[in-house]
Amino acid sequence: MLEKLNPLRVYSERPLRLPRLRPFVPRPTDPPVYYFNAERDDIVRDVIARVVDQHAADRPRLELALNDAAYHEIRRLSRQGDIEAKEHLGFFKGLARRLARMSEADKREALRHIVTRYAEDVAGNFDPRVYDLSRHVMPRLITGVMRPSRLPVELLPSSPGSTRAVDELLRIEGAVEKLRRLEKTGTLVYVPTHSSNLDSIVLGHALEQAGLSPAIYGAGKNLFTNPIISFFMHNLGAYRVDRRIAARVYKDVLKTYSQVMLERGYHSLFFPGGTRSRSNLLEHRLKLGLAGSAVQAFSHNRVRGVDRNLYFVPVTINYELVLEGETLIEDWLKSEGKARYIIEDDEFSRLDRWVAFFRKIVGLAGACVIRFGDPVDPFGNPVDDEGCSLAPGGRPIDVGSYVKRQGQAVEDAQRDAAYTRDLGEVLVRRYREETVLMATSLVAHVLYRRLVRETMGFDLFHRLRHRGEVSLARERLHAEVGALRDRLRGLEDAGKVRVNHDIRERSPADIVDRALTVWNGYHRRTAARDEGSDVTAEDPTLLLYYQNRLVPFAERVAGQEDLAAAREIAALEIRGAT
Amino acid sequence: MRVGVLGGGGFGRGLAAAAARAKNEVTLWSRSARELPAGVESTGELAALGGCDVIFLAVPSGYVESLSTELGRHLDGSHVLVHVSRGLVGPQLGTLSQLLRRTTPCRRVGALAGPLIAEALASGAPSGAVVGTRFQEVAGLVRDAIASDGLRLYESADIVGVEVSSALVGLLALAVGYGRGLGAGPASLSVVLTRGLAEARRLLPTLGGQADTLNGLAGFGDMLAVAAGDARPEVRLGEALAAGQSVEEAGRVAGAYIEGLTIGRRVAAHAERAHVDVPVARAMAQVIAGELAGEAAVRALMARHAGRE
Repeated sequence: MLEKLNPLRVYSERPLRLPRLRPFVPRPTDPPVYYFNAERDDIVRDVIARVVDQHAADRPRLELALNDAAYHEIRRLSRQGDIEAKEHLGFFKGLARRLARMSEADKREALRHIVTRYAEDVAGNFDPRVYDLSRHVMPRLITGVMRPSRLPVELLPSSPGSTRAVDELLRIEGAVEKLRRLEKTGTLVYVPTHSSNLDSIVLGHALEQAGLSPAIYGAGKNLFTNPIISFFMHNLGAYRVDRRIAARVYKDVLKTYSQVMLERGYHSLFFPGGTRSRSNLLEHRLKLGLAGSAVQAFSHNRVRGVDRNLYFVPVTINYELVLEGETLIEDWLKSEGKARYIIEDDEFSRLDRWVAFFRKIVGLAGACVIRFGDPVDPFGNPVDDEGCSLAPGGRPIDVGSYVKRQGQAVEDAQRDAAYTRDLGEVLVRRYREETVLMATSLVAHVLYRRLVRETMGFDLFHRLRHRGEVSLARERLHAEVGALRDRLRGLEDAGKVRVNHDIRERSPADIVDRALTVWNGYHRRTAARDEGSDVTAEDPTLLLYYQNRLVPFAERVAGQEDLAAAREIAALEIRGAT
Repeated sequence: MRVGVLGGGGFGRGLAAAAARAKNEVTLWSRSARELPAGVESTGELAALGGCDVIFLAVPSGYVESLSTELGRHLDGSHVLVHVSRGLVGPQLGTLSQLLRRTTPCRRVGALAGPLIAEALASGAPSGAVVGTRFQEVAGLVRDAIASDGLRLYESADIVGVEVSSALVGLLALAVGYGRGLGAGPASLSVVLTRGLAEARRLLPTLGGQADTLNGLAGFGDMLAVAAGDARPEVRLGEALAAGQSVEEAGRVAGAYIEGLTIGRRVAAHAERAHVDVPVARAMAQVIAGELAGEAAVRALMARHAGRE
């Protein structure tokens, strides 16, 4: 029985591209990604050749790769039962049947067939016309959603001096100038924290605003189901990651694709958290597959005598209000930390929530802060303004020395994997230092800490059932928020964390009011209820979510009477702790 | 290969002798001139170690930070650093390999641990140890540097597990010394050690190590050497405390073993944060702080509810 095909679904499965009448010739000053379409076929060929060679080198490995692919693909495609299954299920079933009788050449050919399809599916496209379009239209559309009355004005070409609502919302800070310099001589790998599906859109916009080149990134295939988003994604250099494919060789294709792109100098972006932080805790356990491909790209280039440097840029994306906050924290609690990998029914896919979200944050200047941290080399060392790696104490060192053995640059995948783990630890540390704490985190922390104080000895789930039972008198709340802010500023002066501009100078009463205003009216549940003289911790779950950004600092910002509660909060992050 | 050794104590000289026996060029840095094994060149300049491929740090954990910071000025990413110190740093219980990565440009680091004693290294008597390192090439280089027919070197990718195991066995050795000083017999000590290992097993994952690493030479193996009665500074410190000496006096007896005086307290504080129960570590912390002594410490441990093993 044939499933009725949804035409939109078909479009989103196949890249939609604008026709071109004249060939596009990039200018020398254009960023590397402008050259992508000219190189695309070459890149895909390179990826296919490398992955096939890796596996075809020894027989058991080749057979394992094919068996593994057949097993996982038959499972996946049978379950999907869509147009893709119709086309490919037969191939994999046939492969599973014939595998034992196939010659080595046939096996190699079968692998090449599979890898080719994966590589073609993964590889993106970059159309400068779409880039320009999105650059000019997207922020205006977003603004339009927020302030319909201003839509006509926003759609006009911007006059000098006029600021668009979206630019008021977004604050960009950090090492922007240094990055502008480094991107000319080196390859930048942006590794941001991940809270929301808005992140890649917001960050793409921030790069453009900061005068930085666009970066390519892998986007989950579930984002491509919306044909409009799919069109933009496809044509802005995004490559597709289909998380449903469990075949090991598919992961090899993704990593190799990323590696080849980096070797060729394409600035890239990936989220080392792997998925949105369900708990809103800062990323502290990273998925380093793609970071590993960057380290390998570096050593591969060095061995071939290509001295182009590669820099990791830790970025924190800090929201005062998180679009999908409610769904994410519920998901975290439901599975006790074992996340559903793909959530398709969250606020991101619901237009009414988008509208509510943007309506809410309009006028909240600086509701989202993107902070570009100081870049590090692939081995976690800071670099100077020229991009030279610095040893502790600030002495310049040769970054090539890390891939040398007895004076000779060599490739060693095991070594590079070990470097990547070390780098992961550096990134986790840098996320803490570069995180920008917002009013909502501070107020949530004070309220949640009070709840912990009054429920000591309870487990997390028991505690979260105490809805609306703990209140703080306004003055008390203001005093604690003020003390917290001052201690955080102390940590900020020591370079341990950042405090958002807005709350640095504001009165504690203003900070509390700001947080209450931001929460109420967007989330379906009330996080904290304003009762005039008191503020009540209405929804401990939401408060937990927003305060989680503060967990690494909880003990250092607690007063004596709150220390026990702060320890309890700090335990949320300790690996292996219950 | 050129091998450097930092530290002219018994262990440093033992490592230098082993490296010389394995036909390497060996340079030993020491603050004071001492008699050195044959074929080992001596230096007082840290810069001289910059020419080595592998450098062993054989100094007490309290000195690692200042020396590695100084040494790091002469190194780059190509050098391999291996430490043999037992200890965890600061309230976060950071490991020394993490410290080396922070204070030097080196990333290819390792930790050599297990029931290895200086005399066996120097004489080549049969012994074994484990090299904790994320880099297989580091384990290979350590073998090239010091392995011989008499020295078996195993390898573990769980460097944090190796370092934490080694440090926690140090704490248990303190407890054993203390127990022995109070006259406890083998049966009583075996209860302390077994329960001590159980709490170490709970702690390891909270510090980023794997509990299984404890079963290896750095944990269980080293602990058997303690039980069999090797005379290490931790045991001597425990015995001195049991004899009623003050912490200062006991510290002098135990020489440079300062680490043991604070690790109990730091482990207990961390365990509380991580929701892990560590009665043995807590009792040792209280003994060192003078809050608990002699029979009271034993009673505090024995009065606990005995649950499932």
